Amino acid sequence: MSATHMNPADLMAPPVTKTIQQRSLMIGLVFAVIAVAGAFVRPDEFFRGYLLAYMDWLGVTLGSMAILMIRHLTGGGWGVVIRRVLGAAMRCLPLMAFLFVPILFGLPRLYVWARPLDSITDKHLQSHLQEITKSYLSVHGFVIRAAIYLAIWNLLSFLLTKWSREQDQPGARDNSPRFKAVSGPGLILYAFTVSFAAIDWVMSIDPSWISTIYGLLILIGQLLSAMCFAVVVERILARYKPMSVWLRPSFVHDHGKWMLTFVMVWAYFSFSQWLIIWAGNLPEEITWYIRRLHGGWGGVGLLLALFHFAVPFIMLLSRSFKRDIGRLVWLAVGLLVMRWVDLLWIIEPNYSQTLSVTWADFVVSIAVGGIWLWFFFRNLNSLPLLSIYDPDAHEVLEPAHE
Amino acid sequence: MKPTPLYGMMAEFDTPTDLVAAAERAHHAGYQKIDAYSPFPIEGLAEAIGFQKNRVPLVTLIGGIVGGLTGYLMQYWISASSYPVNVGGKPYHSWPAFIPVTFELTILFAGISAVLGMLALNGLPMPYHPVFNVPRFAFASKDRFFLIVFSSDPQYNSKATRDFLERLNPRSISEVPS
Repeated sequence: MSATHMNPADLMAPPVTKTIQQRSLMIGLVFAVIAVAGAFVRPDEFFRGYLLAYMDWLGVTLGSMAILMIRHLTGGGWGVVIRRVLGAAMRCLPLMAFLFVPILFGLPRLYVWARPLDSITDKHLQSHLQEITKSYLSVHGFVIRAAIYLAIWNLLSFLLTKWSREQDQPGARDNSPRFKAVSGPGLILYAFTVSFAAIDWVMSIDPSWISTIYGLLILIGQLLSAMCFAVVVERILARYKPMSVWLRPSFVHDHGKWMLTFVMVWAYFSFSQWLIIWAGNLPEEITWYIRRLHGGWGGVGLLLALFHFAVPFIMLLSRSFKRDIGRLVWLAVGLLVMRWVDLLWIIEPNYSQTLSVTWADFVVSIAVGGIWLWFFFRNLNSLPLLSIYDPDAHEVLEPAHE
Repeated sequence: MKPTPLYGMMAEFDTPTDLVAAAERAHHAGYQKIDAYSPFPIEGLAEAIGFQKNRVPLVTLIGGIVGGLTGYLMQYWISASSYPVNVGGKPYHSWPAFIPVTFELTILFAGISAVLGMLALNGLPMPYHPVFNVPRFAFASKDRFFLIVFSSDPQYNSKATRDFLERLNPRSISEVPS
């Protein structure tokens, strides 16, 4: 089976994706209606839930873009087989830009620095805010920077998609050098922009606390979310042609190795942050952890240590587990849930000293997720599942030992 | 002069695909003690000769666990038992501070176990190996692919095995003196 003998229709996603697409949209819209209704009754809870949902689904989107760029630089069969899945998730970036707008309406509710300085009773915080709102954390700056981040991500996504589409034409020139030329600088840009975005959108909820590894912590979480999501989608696709023919245990093995890597790096960054702050034990730093280890939040922290690190780590050590998509997919689903829990544990304790999970945390996450999935499957259906003129496509199409 | 006992019977193939197919057929024919040689790693070849598991991961895991325990217990003994020093008012047994060294020793012991375990299990370094008695075997590091049936295989029979290998359409068949 070579590229020239392929019927284009054989390369498309199976019809089941259309069904999932419609159901996602229905679920998304129903929950969106509930969320909007809730937003009028309980606006504070709505915006917190919205920020959580936004960061969670942004993670899958941006993480997919980053893994796609890594793939363009490294090549390899593992990447060809999920290239279009990652691409479809990346192309949800215009949707994410649109979904950022509601956050702008909730700025004073989400961020203490966006409130009038006179309304802040804590004198210490007030004088601190007086300084930083002048230099960095102003509403204007926030909006302009957000526009820049979203523009850069959308530009990268646009270029990679455009060339990928061109490459599908028979006889088109090989775009691999272009992909490489954009992906190298693109990954550096991604690391910087996502760090700044993490600081602006999440870390600034507590403007008197800083951690230098924070951006990387969010970044590695995004990569983990994206790889787990790709594994879930490849499991669904692998029930049908053409993915059932292409997906080999060795590719699944590679995806499992990525998951192990990201789980370990996440744990490494999380622990580094904790160790340094714990060792220093300075009042302006340790308060972040005191909030997150008391009042019921400690249980969530323990949950993260166990199910975001220890259990997945031990399971992913097994070679046969990583090669079996039927088992690996359940861990991927579990880790996607834990990504949500991790972001909940980062965001919510800023607003509540005691463990509180509101209706909005669930409802808005499902609403955004439903709409996101609808958009994702729409993207997935718009291009063939395999980029057949990719220089590595033969690894997927031909038997291994030829 | 006494004839030297045979180490096995070796067949030479031109392509990796032929080698994998031959290895699969030999395995299915019931030969258990077979091995294959190629100039580069071939996906699916290990499975084709019926190779199931190697124990290097297990050795590495045990090495890692021993390393982790060594790292942690050593620090516990130093900081909490042998020479306790009060650091910033923290308890003597402050587990977060012990993690970096525990982690490093886990990696170190696991890495050393992996290398030594690999060498112990594959028998390297090996100054003498009978397959090199076949002159054509020099091509195994260039562009030829070899399958060997060891004479220690219970099904080994110099005539029947030769006939079997003939049916696989090899480029050549050689007896390997031990």
